[in-house]
Amino acid sequence: MIVKFALLLVFISFALFFSVDLLLWLAIPGLPNLLTQLGLLTLMIAFGILLSAGLFIIIKLTLAAFLNYVSARERLERRLLFINAKQAQLKQLFYFKAIQVNYFSELKRKRLLQTNNKQHLESLSKVINKDLQSLKKHLPKPHYLQLHQLYRKSLKQQNIEALLKLQTEIANLI
Amino acid sequence: MIRLKNWTFALLKLFHSIKDENLQWNEKNQEQENKLKHNRVLAAKALESDLKKRSVQLEHDINLLRTKNETELSMFKTKCQQDIKDYKQYLTALDQLKRSIQSSYTHLPEAVAFTIHHHAKHLLNQMWEAKDFEQKMHHEMQLINFMTTVHEEARRYLEGTSNTQLPEKTINLIQRKQINSE
Repeated sequence: MIVKFALLLVFISFALFFSVDLLLWLAIPGLPNLLTQLGLLTLMIAFGILLSAGLFIIIKLTLAAFLNYVSARERLERRLLFINAKQAQLKQLFYFKAIQVNYFSELKRKRLLQTNNKQHLESLSKVINKDLQSLKKHLPKPHYLQLHQLYRKSLKQQNIEALLKLQTEIANLI
Repeated sequence: MIRLKNWTFALLKLFHSIKDENLQWNEKNQEQENKLKHNRVLAAKALESDLKKRSVQLEHDINLLRTKNETELSMFKTKCQQDIKDYKQYLTALDQLKRSIQSSYTHLPEAVAFTIHHHAKHLLNQMWEAKDFEQKMHHEMQLINFMTTVHEEARRYLEGTSNTQLPEKTINLIQRKQINSE
């Protein structure tokens, strides 16, 4: 309605400007000046009304949106969404915590295994070294060197299986 | 001038008649309008109350979930700790097995004792790393069977009821396993 009224005023002002042109063409003095001022005033009022209406609508919509945002229904809906998100977060947290516990447990087990392997590797290497020393005089030098090299290499790689194989080979030589 | 006056009066009359009609319509429909407003307020309150109830229910659910998660996590932690303890005990038992072999068979080459121990540890790890329950049980049975065989042979050797100088059954088990895995 307000917009229609403002548009009407705009048309009236255009009509006034047109009439000013007409009066100037008819060469009637005095009146065009007054009509121009009237037309300008009408146009300004029309724009003023349009601007005020726009501002009024914006303020009204903002206020309505704000009131809707703080309304009990919206607040409760937001609360529900928050609780749902919290629930999902708790589920995810549980999943990742379980993975973490499992990871640390597995790490602990592997450390235990490594320590145990190291102990047996040391013990095995001592036995092999002792046997190799006792065989040193009875074996040809290249063969002894080959065995010793294999021993050093397997020990460096911490390869228990290779060391066991070597120990069997040495035991057969003894 | 009189005509203009008449037009103004006619316009005013029209305006008043519209106002009257509007008033009458309002009067006629006021009850319905009030009812509508009342219903709208009631619906809004019902929705609010429903949302509140749901919110309370969900909060209760969250508390339940939190408690359940905490309990399950604590149980899982205890289970993992127990698993580690068991694994440690198994390793100790295997070390003991090796010492028992070495002390029983005094002439046994060190390589054989180490191989037996290494094989037992391999079986233990297979059992521990099995994903499937059935597989786990199968590997556990293999390990128990292997350890029983070793102890039984060592006991027989010490008692002098064994004819062999080596734990042959145990060595056979290892060789069979190696052939199967190949």
